[in-house]
Amino acid sequence: MVTASRWRRPGRLAGTALCALSALTGVAAAHSGGLGGATRDPLAIPTWLFLLTGGGVVGVSFLLASFVTDRRLVDALHDWHRPLPTPGRLVRTTARLAALAVLAATLAVGYLGPSTGVRNLAVLVVWVAWWGGYVASTYLLGNTWATLNPFRTLASALPSLDRPYPDRLGAWPSVAGLLLLVWVEVMTPLADDPRLLATVLVVYTVITLAGTVTVGAEAWFGNADPLSRAFRLYGQLAPLHVADGRLRLRLPGAALPDTVLDGRDDVAFVVTLLFVTTYDGFVATGPWASGARAVVDAGVPAPLLYLGAYLVGAVLFYLAYRASARLGRRQADTYLTTAYLARRFAPALLPIAAGYHLAHNLGSVLVLGPTLAAVAMAPLSPPASPPQLAGLPAWVGGVELACVLLGHLVAVWVAHATAYDVFPSRLQAVRSQYGVTAVMVGYTMLSLWIVTEPYVAPPFIAT
Amino acid sequence: MNPDRDADVPPDATPHVCERCGHPFTAESRLALHRGLAHTELTPEEREAFEAAREEEEADLRRFRLLALAALVALYFGFLMTYAVVT
Repeated sequence: MVTASRWRRPGRLAGTALCALSALTGVAAAHSGGLGGATRDPLAIPTWLFLLTGGGVVGVSFLLASFVTDRRLVDALHDWHRPLPTPGRLVRTTARLAALAVLAATLAVGYLGPSTGVRNLAVLVVWVAWWGGYVASTYLLGNTWATLNPFRTLASALPSLDRPYPDRLGAWPSVAGLLLLVWVEVMTPLADDPRLLATVLVVYTVITLAGTVTVGAEAWFGNADPLSRAFRLYGQLAPLHVADGRLRLRLPGAALPDTVLDGRDDVAFVVTLLFVTTYDGFVATGPWASGARAVVDAGVPAPLLYLGAYLVGAVLFYLAYRASARLGRRQADTYLTTAYLARRFAPALLPIAAGYHLAHNLGSVLVLGPTLAAVAMAPLSPPASPPQLAGLPAWVGGVELACVLLGHLVAVWVAHATAYDVFPSRLQAVRSQYGVTAVMVGYTMLSLWIVTEPYVAPPFIAT
Repeated sequence: MNPDRDADVPPDATPHVCERCGHPFTAESRLALHRGLAHTELTPEEREAFEAAREEEEADLRRFRLLALAALVALYFGFLMTYAVVT
């Protein structure tokens, strides 16, 4: 049986990616005319060429975007919007109460239900319905978390001391919170142990409510809560949004070029959002497993190694992005500060993060969707082996790769539109994107490498 | 953008500062473009400077497009050859 944790690891993506790749190389071989028929060997092209191709696609899309030099066209695409009927108060209250009921049921079943991950509704609700499905809806449809957030509903029922939120903390608590949440997710069997999952949920609830009681719900969810911040940022990418109290439709990603992040703390959050996905995949690769074994054999405690690699990786990601902003500043020959350019261009990274999120979770949502339905019918006495899709057709792997690619293409376009918004000279705008494009090419190659590495269970941690 | 916070002019530089919003630029032509794009109601001289800067920009863009096209062709054939040799 497939466990939930196995499915939400990106390692599974590797198999499907290689299927899609072998189909591609089959086409390439047919074109060069040397070989008759498609080859089925999944390693038909060397990894370096695969990575180079991925990086090349991003570079080419930058060059293609640079041909769009009509400012009016760029603006028209981003200003396009249509009004939609706005849901009434009744709908919102019902949705809010339903979300609260789901949280209560998740906690109860987490403690009282069966102890195997894939038969427990709590695990399925959190990983399949919420993390896989709901999170995807925040960037594919619109950010509904501000309304649904059951923790906010709970907080609104509690009194608040309304202490002022310290401004110098800014978004840093949410950066730390995001790092901590993903750290717990990587290091503990959170997808196989419902009791542990329910406990983590209780801890999160207690911390959140303590925060809202101290500084007030608005300040807490606006600054310190990592989930609210992540969904708010993802919502900037989504086609549905609320403006002046009205629901409106826009093109996906259209709001990102106008999004100016508040400070370097916000930039750090966006970069961290991208980094945590990478780390989750990176520790499940062969080179990491052999490297980690060697280091632990040399006497370094395993948790320290994982923590060190995690924090160093996060800092490296941030420094790389910062360096790209500095390069952009030098190339564009401008008086604008590096910090300002970093704040302007960081939203362009969000489509990449969303693309990887979708690619990593699409398979598990499809495969475990029937499981969720079957277990939800009888949460306390679920079937002994609940149904799941036996396997996914090969084209799903193609869809996953397409999600990754589409994320990168939208990101390149957003960077292009942002540069046009920032600089009066269009050539200056093109030059300012050299840095961020270099970072995107590098990041594509790194992620594709992780995706092509076969899944190896991370050593020394309980999964 | 807030010129005080988001711009950093080195002490030895002579920036071309927009008299309407305080935004500093490294070249007169960029200031002229900025006026035409960000502000309305230009004086006839400013309008003329904007048109001139725009023409100059068009010429630069044409040159850049040629370079970008060359880069695209180089990438395309580079990959084609690499795939032909490797697979």
